[in-house]
Amino acid sequence: MKIDLGGRNAKFVFLLPAVIWTLFFTVFPLLYSLRLSFFRYVLGKPEQFIGFENFLRAFGDYKVANAVKVTLIFISIAIPAELLLGMALALLFNQKIPGRRFFRTLLTMPLFFTPVAIGLLGLTIFYEEGGPINSFLGLVGLKVPWLSHPTWAMAAILLVEIWQWTPFVFLVLLAGLQGLPEEVYESAWLETSSGWQVFRWITLPMLQPVIIIVFLLRLIEAVKIFDIAYSLTAGGPGTSTQVYSLFVYRSAMKFFDFGYASSLAYLLLVAISLVIAFFFRRMREIYE
Amino acid sequence: MVQRHSFAKKVQMIIVLTLVAIWAAFPIYWAIMVSIKPRAETFSVTYLSIPFIQFQPTLQNWIEDLQNEEIRRAAFNSLVVSTTSSLLALFLGSLAGYALARFRFYRIKNRDITVWFLSQRILPPVVVVIPFFLIMKTLNLLDTQLALILVYTTFNLPFAVVIMRQMFKEIPEEIEEAALVDGCSHFDTFLRVALPLSAPALAATFILCMAFAWNELLFALILSQKEAVTLPVFIAGSQQSRGVFFWFAATRSLMAALPPTILALLVQPFIVRGLTFGAVKG
Repeated sequence: MKIDLGGRNAKFVFLLPAVIWTLFFTVFPLLYSLRLSFFRYVLGKPEQFIGFENFLRAFGDYKVANAVKVTLIFISIAIPAELLLGMALALLFNQKIPGRRFFRTLLTMPLFFTPVAIGLLGLTIFYEEGGPINSFLGLVGLKVPWLSHPTWAMAAILLVEIWQWTPFVFLVLLAGLQGLPEEVYESAWLETSSGWQVFRWITLPMLQPVIIIVFLLRLIEAVKIFDIAYSLTAGGPGTSTQVYSLFVYRSAMKFFDFGYASSLAYLLLVAISLVIAFFFRRMREIYE
Repeated sequence: MVQRHSFAKKVQMIIVLTLVAIWAAFPIYWAIMVSIKPRAETFSVTYLSIPFIQFQPTLQNWIEDLQNEEIRRAAFNSLVVSTTSSLLALFLGSLAGYALARFRFYRIKNRDITVWFLSQRILPPVVVVIPFFLIMKTLNLLDTQLALILVYTTFNLPFAVVIMRQMFKEIPEEIEEAALVDGCSHFDTFLRVALPLSAPALAATFILCMAFAWNELLFALILSQKEAVTLPVFIAGSQQSRGVFFWFAATRSLMAALPPTILALLVQPFIVRGLTFGAVKG
């Protein structure tokens, strides 16, 4: 498969700069913050070793519990919604549709729209008195307190997130669908005329690897949510949309409680690593 | 899956497509409209806000914002930081990607090295934000472009490695073998044969890296205060310190978001591949 082109050390010259860079800039900081998480360290004061106290504090901290809850709610609504909508769109555009390329382009646009910018823009879109959404809802007599009510603020963040990332799911699933062999479908349509049957027993199983990749990538990114919550609701009202990253950021940069914030960050790292470990074999197979 | 559509189905389809188009484009449309509305009419003229019919468009907001020194500096910082870090990531990444595609490593297998790089990308930024802040503080690099360049290079590097590895794998090895037989060194072969052959992939990877760096907020927020502020930090701050000026929210959102969006449209065929780290071919 791979041919050793004859070099003995050349290969290390190619590989090592990137490895050293990554070791220096991620592994070293990771070790540094692991150490920090065992210290009481508030900026400007001397650090003090306190063992597991930060971690114990985290488990008893209702703010941590809230941040975890908010993040979990966010993930467990955003990802299924994106997958379902993305799948629906992919199936729709896998047919012969006029202007398919136009729509693909249109749906590519949200993907790279600066997240903090769409959050800020959300302030005007969700504006309660005369914002575009409420003005249309007003036609049927509704007025939604988008950013001033805890539940609706979460809904607003979710809508922005779904707007931005459904296109990703759509594009990847569409690529997956177009890679499926035509012949299987031809024979399937001879057996049944039910679109659902074909989807359930042919499309879904064949598309499964792609669906898992999309799901994983979305999961990894959704856990990191920060920008939208920061700019659209700033975690509010109250702490109703204070997602985990935002909470850690505030512990560090507002209260300068670096030791505690590091332990919080590490707990997130452990949680993510567990999820990844669960899918690790699959990931290795993909990059075989 | 080619089926014939009845008339009813066609109507259904048109309705669905219209909804999709509105859903995808409305926020951008709305941003443009707010940015050219007279300020007093930001919310008094609403619904679709059609220019010339519902309001007289004005460029006042744009003119004022484009003359704003702070915005110019932020845009300049964003440009410098995102291009420099992407070039660095691309340079280191294509070297390593080439190594992983063309050579065989024995002690640690190629695919394990690849997955290791990938796992760096999975890392939530908030986990390393605190040590980065403290390190940059110690090195006296807080609020400099250099600090951001180092961070963004680090975060784009795994992406560049994994993608470029794939791209090199797709070039037939024979051409490089011929160069080696002719007496080229490995580095010459890489530089003169492999790199030119993968030029489109290099360009696309560069653009995606640049878009990622351009859009990044968390690190920039922590590592810059005044001099090195990037556009995302600037627009995040313009909301909090001075109350919301909705018209500026619109102009600034567009200024920040249009460059990466337009760049990404240039590499559309590559996006699926890029965003799935090569796992799905677009």
